[in-house]
Amino acid sequence: MAKKEKAANLHIKRSAGDWVFDIAVIIFFFLFTFVCIFPFYYLLINTISDNDLVTSGRVNFYPMLKDAAGKGVLGAQFNNYLALQNVQDLGSSVLVTVARSVLGTALMVITSAWAGYLVTKQKMWKRSLWYRFLVVTMYFNAGLVPWYMNMLMMGLTDNFLAYIIPGMVAPYNIILVKTYIESIPSSLEESAVIDGASTLKVWLKIILPLSIPILATITIFGAVGNWNSFQDSLLLMNNRPDLYTLQHRLYVYLNSSSNLGAMMSQGGTISEQAAQSMLNQRVIQYTVSMVSIIPILLVYPFMQRYFVKGIMLGAVKG
Amino acid sequence: MDRTVNRKIPTETLPLGRRVPLWIFRATALIAGMAIFFPPVNPGRISEKINESASLFTTGVSYGTITNSMGRILRSQWIRGGDITLLMIACVTVMLGVIMCAAGGCMSLGNRKMRRRGLILPLLGAPIMGVGLFLIRQAYQRMVSNGEEMGKLDKIGMMLPGGFTVFIVLAALLFLSAAIAFFTAEKDTDPSAKMEMEEKYRLFLMMLPVILLTFIFAYLPIWGWRFAFFDYTPGGDIGADNYVGFKWFSFLFADPATTKDLIRVLRNTLIMSGLGILTSWLPIAFAVLLAEVRSTKFQRFVQTFTTIPNFISWVLVYAIAICIFSTDGFINSFLTNVMHVAGANTNYLQIADHTWLKMLLWGTWKGVGWSAIIYIAGIAGIDQQLYEAARVDGAGRFRCIWHITIPGLVPTYMVMLLMSIAGILSNGMEQYLVFSNAMNKDVIEVLDLYVYNIGIGQNRISLSTVVGISKSLIGITLLFAANGISKAIRGESII
Repeated sequence: MAKKEKAANLHIKRSAGDWVFDIAVIIFFFLFTFVCIFPFYYLLINTISDNDLVTSGRVNFYPMLKDAAGKGVLGAQFNNYLALQNVQDLGSSVLVTVARSVLGTALMVITSAWAGYLVTKQKMWKRSLWYRFLVVTMYFNAGLVPWYMNMLMMGLTDNFLAYIIPGMVAPYNIILVKTYIESIPSSLEESAVIDGASTLKVWLKIILPLSIPILATITIFGAVGNWNSFQDSLLLMNNRPDLYTLQHRLYVYLNSSSNLGAMMSQGGTISEQAAQSMLNQRVIQYTVSMVSIIPILLVYPFMQRYFVKGIMLGAVKG
Repeated sequence: MDRTVNRKIPTETLPLGRRVPLWIFRATALIAGMAIFFPPVNPGRISEKINESASLFTTGVSYGTITNSMGRILRSQWIRGGDITLLMIACVTVMLGVIMCAAGGCMSLGNRKMRRRGLILPLLGAPIMGVGLFLIRQAYQRMVSNGEEMGKLDKIGMMLPGGFTVFIVLAALLFLSAAIAFFTAEKDTDPSAKMEMEEKYRLFLMMLPVILLTFIFAYLPIWGWRFAFFDYTPGGDIGADNYVGFKWFSFLFADPATTKDLIRVLRNTLIMSGLGILTSWLPIAFAVLLAEVRSTKFQRFVQTFTTIPNFISWVLVYAIAICIFSTDGFINSFLTNVMHVAGANTNYLQIADHTWLKMLLWGTWKGVGWSAIIYIAGIAGIDQQLYEAARVDGAGRFRCIWHITIPGLVPTYMVMLLMSIAGILSNGMEQYLVFSNAMNKDVIEVLDLYVYNIGIGQNRISLSTVVGISKSLIGITLLFAANGISKAIRGESII
């Protein structure tokens, strides 16, 4: 298609105005892309530079280490990342977040694959009622406090299961799977049924292998969602700091210093030592932030097509 | 080759008099099956020292959960470990009975033979539940007498929970309805018949766990709306004495402070959503401009990097905001060390000016690349012949954009626009929570954040519930309105 377009374009002479426009567009996109990735880069160089240079604000465009004379030269160190093992409560948060990302995503994907397959079965008793029953929950929720009270009643506060079980049924993902399965030729399934395969067997041997693309898509969405989860931890884990998710833990770290910052800006006095520890805390915050961004940055380029597929399928509603 | 699957299983319609007890039985079995996992109706919580959030299931399987606040009690033998083991056995027995009844309920959807077999299960299961409950009662009595012996009865907080009565009623109902259904059922006339179930019911039973999970986590919270009609304080009870009717609804307008808050919050919400709607064409512009770039490599490069911010959480966006805009962030150190501006140490995050605009910009930074994807795909789907024809007719690139590309994207845009209008009150709380501070809290607090702040922060459960209910109802009305508009204009629904 791109070739065709190019061929079509050959007929037209580009005017000077066209050239200016093209260049302006390219500059705009360069700038915008720069704005999108520079913060990540800046965060990264601040975590791998010499901490004194970071503190004095000298690290702006590339990672720096001190040379013999104490001047900043290009270089990198990873001590901040090693120092993270001493940061309080961080380990348990990473563990909890990894556990929920793996378990929660796996259960969500299995449930979506199962439910998405079943709702394509026209023969099910009251099928469309149950399907609507699921879909309505995308558009309607009872509100934050009733939801919280419900979780309290179910005993899911201060409980790791709260990260996994409520997320198992994801109506949007069920719709995605359903739409996808409907596009698989039904003759495949029919022939297996004639050969005596049970529903479970058809699902396992035919539907699952054929829907791997869509399952990959919802897996990646689910994993990112779990990794980024913050709100449920904030609401439900009041008495269990060891069950905070990574984002919640980071939020706590970020806030503990912004209070110090507020004191400063209001003209309150902070001792030299407190200011120093605050700035070190800043480096720790940056490093923790980087740790929670890195998995997404690593996974994203490889999975981009699945993300794109997800949003495109979502546009085709079920 | 086994072809039984395709053989039509004869359906029989039962007379009403035999259907009713069967349905009562199934419904009760369903309720009992769910009640196992409901902490409020745990019959095994015979002491106040047993965790309030433990369900019958947890009590049956987890010794640790029962005893986690009993350290001293167990050490000093005020409650003997043996009695707790008895309690656990009792709970498991009750569960066994319930599971038999639930299995019977499932089987009762089968053919005549299967239904008859299935109904035998509750006839055994309900008495087993009874035995289990008796054992719980036994454990209770042993603990009470032991406590009396030790003189510490007041320390171990013995009680017979409400769930105990609930389970007795459930067991009785299960037994009675199953017995009636069983004894009025027709005898097996064909001894060679197999146990089988119609496919529609089999499929339904496979779906049932998903339906139940949805019910528990998405519909059951509506039961929490009752707090709106009571003067509820956390940890307290609700009952006739603190029933206040619609007091909290009128409180929204009667209490000046609350009304003022509400107006402020609604202003913030509507302005920020409004700004979002006003700029909702930005992704289209992004997509159209990107399509004008000839190099597909460059397109892919831009697309990859501009969508990354969409996949990081708002907490991380805030972390990035700190590293760029705080006192020792990029802007200030750039000004100081590169531009040599003296005294550049403004913490831009603490400045409340233009908060709405800043929030919009953060939202745009995070979302525009991602939102553009759907339009980029839309442009790729436009028939190229249209462009060729237009060019032959002498149209330039801007006329092509205006008359072909944009009209091609309008249908998608309308759906997005209507959805965002329907969601005008829900802009989520995460973004505003992480960016809020002492300086900007008056202008940043949106409805969702307000509900969180008064409900969870200040423990005003009832008031917060009322605001939440109003929001949910207005939201669903707006959604239906948007859907109606969409149907009228485009002849297609959006939900």
